[in-house]
Amino acid sequence: MRTAGRWLAPMIGLVVFFGLWEVLVRAFDVRTFVLLRPSTILAELAGQPGFYWRNTMVTAREALLGYLVALAVALLWGALMARSRFLEQASTPVAVLIQVTPIVAYAPSAVLWLGRGLRPIVFITGLICLVPLLFGVTTGLRSADLAALDLMAVVDAPGREVLRRIRLPYALPYLFSATRTCVGLALIGAVLAEWYALVDQGLGRRIQEAIDFNQSRQLWASIYAVALLGGLAIVVLNVVERRVLHWHPSARTLG
Amino acid sequence: MLPDRATGLAIEVGAVSKRFGPTVALEQIDLSVPPGQFVSVVGPSGCGKTTLLRLIAGLTATDSGTITVGRGGPRAAQRARQLGFVPQSPGLLPWRTVRANARLLTDVGRRHSGLSPAAVDELLEQVGLADFRHAYPHELSGGMQQRVALVRAFALDAPVLLMDEPFAALDEITRAEMRYLLVRLCEERDATVVFVTHSIAEAVMLADRVIVMTGRPGRIEADMAIPLSRPRHPEQEETSEFFALLTALRRSLRVGAQR
Repeated sequence: MRTAGRWLAPMIGLVVFFGLWEVLVRAFDVRTFVLLRPSTILAELAGQPGFYWRNTMVTAREALLGYLVALAVALLWGALMARSRFLEQASTPVAVLIQVTPIVAYAPSAVLWLGRGLRPIVFITGLICLVPLLFGVTTGLRSADLAALDLMAVVDAPGREVLRRIRLPYALPYLFSATRTCVGLALIGAVLAEWYALVDQGLGRRIQEAIDFNQSRQLWASIYAVALLGGLAIVVLNVVERRVLHWHPSARTLG
Repeated sequence: MLPDRATGLAIEVGAVSKRFGPTVALEQIDLSVPPGQFVSVVGPSGCGKTTLLRLIAGLTATDSGTITVGRGGPRAAQRARQLGFVPQSPGLLPWRTVRANARLLTDVGRRHSGLSPAAVDELLEQVGLADFRHAYPHELSGGMQQRVALVRAFALDAPVLLMDEPFAALDEITRAEMRYLLVRLCEERDATVVFVTHSIAEAVMLADRVIVMTGRPGRIEADMAIPLSRPRHPEQEETSEFFALLTALRRSLRVGAQR
C-alpha cells in the first residue's frame, strides 16, 4: 500500500494533465500547427524510435558533460570560497552576474570563441549550471556540525580528513538539491547551445529544424523527448539520493 | 597499568586571559590540576567556563598566559592524541552507525590510536548500547546519543578528558543516570578530567575538587576539595556532608554574583 500510494498520486496527476490536454485539443479542434494532441505526439515518437533515441542521447551526453564540468569547477572554487570570507565576498558578485545574465545573449559569442561543435555546448551548459552548484558547495561545506569539527581538531586531524569525513558528507544534501536545479538548467543549456553551435545532431537541432520547416510533429515529439529525458534524470536522482542520504531527515519524512 | 597513556597528565593554567571583542571572557586565571584529578568547573552561563575548557583543549588561543598539558602545550597534546573531548551537543555523524561513531577518532590519521575495536565494543556494552551498535544516531534518545559521545571520548584512552556540559540538554532523570555512568567509567581509569557544568549537584557528585567561576570578567571565585569517599554512589546525595558542600558552593556563587 505504501509503495503503491507513492506512485499512484503522481500517476493520476500525469494522466489528468495529458488527458485534459487531449480532450481540450479535440474539443476546440485546435489546428495542428498550433498544438498537437498527446496521442499524435506519442505516435510520432513511436513511429521513429531510433531517430529520436539517437538525438536524445546526443543531448543527454552534452547536458551531462556540461554538468560534470560545472561540478568540478564548483567543487574547487566553492572549497576555496568556503575557506576564505574574502574570496567568497570577491566571488559572489561575479557569480551573481553570471547567473542573472541571460545565456542566450552571449551564446553566439561563445561559439565564436570556442568554434563549432561540442566545446561551446559544454561551455554554455556548464556555465548555466555553475552558479547553483557553486553556492551549494559553499553553503554545504560550511554546514558541518561544529561539535564534530571540534572533535576532529582535538585529535589534530589533517584537513583532507576533515573534508572527507565531515565536511563533504554534510555538503551532500546541498549538492543533491543544486543538482536537481541543474537538470532543467543543463537541458535548457544543451538545447539552446545546439542552435548556435552548428551541430547536426541533438534535440535542440531537431527543434530548430522543425520550426524552420514547419514540422509540428517533429517539434512536439522533440519537446516530449527532452521532457522525458529531464523527468527520467529527476527520477534517477531521487533514487540515488534516497540511497546515499538515507540518514538525512529529508529521506525519512517520505519514508 | 600502562605507564604513559592510562595515567593522567597534569594541567597547568598560568595567568591566562582571553577577550572576545570588548568582552573579557577570562581574566588572569590560574589553575593547577594534578594528574588523575577530577575537577568540576561550575558557574553561571557566560562566566567563561566553556572558554577555559576550549583553551585547554587547544580549540581557542589564549591572549596571554600559558597552558601546559603534561609537558607541552595544548597543540602538542592534540598531536599526541592525549585529549579526549566531549562537546555540549553529541556531535555524532548522522550517516555513521553507533559503532562507527564511537570509533571515529581512533582511526583518524594514518595510525590507529586508543582502544582496539573490540575494546570499543566492550565500552558500548558497558554503557548499555550493545544492542544499538548498528543503529543510526537519529534512532537513539538524547541520553543514548550522549553515551555514544562518552564512549567516543573514552575510546581514545587519553590521559586527559575534557567535558563541556555534556549532560546539559538531558532531562533530570537521564542526567542522574549519566552522572553515575560517568563516575564508574572515570573511577576505573586514572585520567585527569576537567568537567564543565552549571549544575552544582553534578559538579559535587563527580569531582575530587570543584572550581566556582563567576562572570564578566571570568574569574575563579572558589576552589573547594570534595572529600566524599570513592567509589561514589547515589546514596551519598542524601548525606549531610553532601548538603553542606552544596550549601557552601551556592554561597560562593551568590557572593560572586553580588560583586
